[in-house]
Amino acid sequence: MPLGTLDRSPPPFFKQGPSAISKLFFFSALSVLLMVADVRFGVTEPLRSAMSVVLYPVQWLALRPTVLSEYTGDYMQTRDAAQAAERQVRQQLLVQSQRAGQVEQLTLENEQLRHLLGLRERLNSTGMAAEVLYDAADPFTRKFIVDKGVVNGVKLGSPVMDELGILGQVTRVLPLVSEVTLVTDREHSIPVLNTRTGARGVAFGEAAGAPLLELRFMATNADIEVGDLLSTSGVDGIYPPGVPVAKVTKVERRAETAFARIYCEPVGHVQGARHVMLLEPLNDKLPPRPQIDRPQPVAPSKGVRR
Amino acid sequence: MIMPRGQQLLLPANPVFVFLSLAFAMLLDMVFNMSLTGNATWMPDCLAVVMLFWCVHQPRMVSIGVAFLFGVMTDVHQAALLGEHALTFTALGFLAVIVHRRLLWFSVPSQAMQVFPIFFAVHALELVMRMMSGASFPGWSIILAPLFEALLWPIVSVILLAPQRRAPDPDDTRPL
Repeated sequence: MPLGTLDRSPPPFFKQGPSAISKLFFFSALSVLLMVADVRFGVTEPLRSAMSVVLYPVQWLALRPTVLSEYTGDYMQTRDAAQAAERQVRQQLLVQSQRAGQVEQLTLENEQLRHLLGLRERLNSTGMAAEVLYDAADPFTRKFIVDKGVVNGVKLGSPVMDELGILGQVTRVLPLVSEVTLVTDREHSIPVLNTRTGARGVAFGEAAGAPLLELRFMATNADIEVGDLLSTSGVDGIYPPGVPVAKVTKVERRAETAFARIYCEPVGHVQGARHVMLLEPLNDKLPPRPQIDRPQPVAPSKGVRR
Repeated sequence: MIMPRGQQLLLPANPVFVFLSLAFAMLLDMVFNMSLTGNATWMPDCLAVVMLFWCVHQPRMVSIGVAFLFGVMTDVHQAALLGEHALTFTALGFLAVIVHRRLLWFSVPSQAMQVFPIFFAVHALELVMRMMSGASFPGWSIILAPLFEALLWPIVSVILLAPQRRAPDPDDTRPL
């Protein structure tokens, strides 16, 4: 027996509104329309941007417990641990400053050599530091959200890396935040180069349902071993060349297939990155694609009306 | 309707409380997602539980339209396909309208058993939509989400009905 109520206002007799089934059809059709517009035509970006700005204060509020716990965690950390961490960072800085000095010199040398050989200069990209706000709650994709958006000048397609390697790419730029798709996402692919052999390939996200990468379309007898480091090849015009992406962890060679199954583990912190670098995509610095004249058929082919 | 003696009467629901509770459920989902669980598949959707609760208890106030709006907001927050949660929440609202006259005749634990198929259907719909749009299968732990949501139903029932269970204040309407 439902609980009675003290509510004594009678239900409306005539003004009943549309029936539940018509509402169901209307809103389902609207949702499907939104999905199609989102996937096929990409025209829902203004709606998404507006909603994200409306939601931003709520998200800011929802992030406070995390920020607070991190703050207290940092505060409660013992002095010894802090000193040890500082010592470690200083040592790293020493090693890196030595390397950085070398890099300056090597860059100069490389430039001169390339100049001598008549090669193009390598492209350098500038970066912007960002903080990861949260992992997207959608369990079907692998994305995270960073705290820089259109107002900070983030560009669509920017490569994202941490101190170890490439993490992914900016796939949606909202006014205040951006969405980054990880290299382990199913729909992500990245051109890579085997640093040991120089062989180029394309690594696809999500190998056998795990957050790994798969190097596809490599012949069964290709020279690839467990432990090979894959770095970006730079042929795509988006990722800067020579940044580590993944390490080969497993190679399956079967006689019945033409290609080997090669699983790789990303080297960047794809699971728990805190601070990331958004690099400028290189595609506006590349020369324009050469115009190829399509051969015109002399006579109209059969079946095609002109 | 002739009421049996000793039956408790509920106060009218406050619309401000209803919408604040929906917003708070969304906030709670965000807190769990952002700080604790990431994109775990088994995570129950508190907003869906609260939405179903109000769609069943106050169908004249919260119905399919409100569910759709909250669904779109969830989509934007989760960086999901825009319209995915809007569709599942629309279905949730419709199923709530279907069961709302019947469900409240049962005791709260058996209500929980009856809302489980609703949550299951909603999650199945979401899974089918995403698989059709080319996403990867997130793993079998996705079955746990509707189970946890059904287990949350009694807790949500106690919390959200508490303001209506207060004793009526006679001074409220007495012209003094």
